[in-house]
Amino acid sequence: MTVDARIAHEAAQWLVRRQAGECDDGALARWRAADPRHEAAWQRAEQVLRTLGRAQGPHGALGAQALRRAGGAGRRAATRLLVALIVAGPAGWAAWRLAPWAGGSASLRTATGERRAITLPDGGHLLLDTASAADIAYGGETRRIVLHQGAIDVRTAPDAAGRPFLVQTPQGTARALGTHFTVRIDERASPPATRVAVAEGAVELRPLHGGGAVRVDAGQQARTTAAAAGPAMPRDPLAGGWTEGVLYAEKMPLGDFIAELARYRSGLLRCDPAVAALPVSGAFQLRDTDAALAALAASLPVRVERRTRWWVSIGPR
Amino acid sequence: MLPASPLTPTTDVAALYGDHHSWLLGWLRRKLGGADHAADLAHDTFVRVLSAQARQRELALREPRAYLSTIARNLLISHAQRQALERAWLEAVAQLPIPLAPSPEQRLIVLEALHQIDALLDGLPPRVREAFLLAQLDGLNYAQIADRLDVTDRTIKRYMAQAFAQCIQLMP
Repeated sequence: MTVDARIAHEAAQWLVRRQAGECDDGALARWRAADPRHEAAWQRAEQVLRTLGRAQGPHGALGAQALRRAGGAGRRAATRLLVALIVAGPAGWAAWRLAPWAGGSASLRTATGERRAITLPDGGHLLLDTASAADIAYGGETRRIVLHQGAIDVRTAPDAAGRPFLVQTPQGTARALGTHFTVRIDERASPPATRVAVAEGAVELRPLHGGGAVRVDAGQQARTTAAAAGPAMPRDPLAGGWTEGVLYAEKMPLGDFIAELARYRSGLLRCDPAVAALPVSGAFQLRDTDAALAALAASLPVRVERRTRWWVSIGPR
Repeated sequence: MLPASPLTPTTDVAALYGDHHSWLLGWLRRKLGGADHAADLAHDTFVRVLSAQARQRELALREPRAYLSTIARNLLISHAQRQALERAWLEAVAQLPIPLAPSPEQRLIVLEALHQIDALLDGLPPRVREAFLLAQLDGLNYAQIADRLDVTDRTIKRYMAQAFAQCIQLMP
């Protein structure tokens, strides 16, 4: 059904009068009763108010801020990025090279399900995992990556100026003594922790509030809270699968598995506690989380219930 | 399933689907790189074909891949816009101290509403859009907005009516 432009405008003016506190309720009622098309337009006007109502409230101003950033310039940037994707089309990774004029600093953020490869100003490489945020700050003294959220995989390059390479998180700092490692912030842990796993070379992990630093060598991992770092242990060989676009699981509890998968998927993905302990094993493509869910439903006594495309829950069959 | 009788548009689309769905899915996967919405977007592309005018469907049958990829490209662009808005929203929420941050459910409900609002405001002049956001989401009254944008009260009412009228027309 479409609404006549003139009638839509009349309905809009009633909304404006109401908002301005100048509405004569009797006159509005008479206008609505005068013509069924008026009433139909008014129904839509109320629908518009309900939609707005869901975005209003304590977070309304934040919503406005998001719409401002994503509309206009942000929208053009998104379209440009997409055009770049269409032209470049790398296998699984949207490649970004920092513009040389960016002066060695940049803010990077990935949306849910998005992963991105970045070439650093010194020629090193950074992979940004799903729903992650990092700032790159290369200064005269240090090469610093500030990880705010999510996970990164770093391959450092030798620096002509000999500046140290640091990854800083809310829980501490990892200083690269070698070449290839991943850093991940685990916000679900209590207290929140940062995990570092080293593939090549070594990393020194130092908690935010002093405490002793821990040296993590190739083939090892360690975690730190803001207060203290734990000992280095053998690296979980399955944990780095995301850099290849794969989630590996070996007898992983379904609840943990779903929490992990949810990081790569827009909207909500929930697991019923009744099935959260079921063990999951396999290799799952992160680019197709629907296929991973279908595989779960086929191999475990669970049911995938889709309330909407953005709201999926896993429960007993 | 869709009823299939000879010479109906749905038969055409069913044939189109059979011949080109896996090609389209591959095309979308390549374009999307790491994201996982290729199957949804392929599905949405065929839904668009189904709801297209008869004349356009003829075009689809004559040049199927060019036609499908044109529709899919438009859907890809709105997908990128959706991601841009999601990113901006999460960034905005991330500024809040944890006790004030919305729950995941609240976040999703607001995000969905923002997507809808974004679509309803599409194409409005920037000042009209800005006045509307200030009134409806930032919670300013008309006098405050007139002051901020340095225009008269009457102009604000005109902006607001223009934005509301478009919302009423575009509301699905």
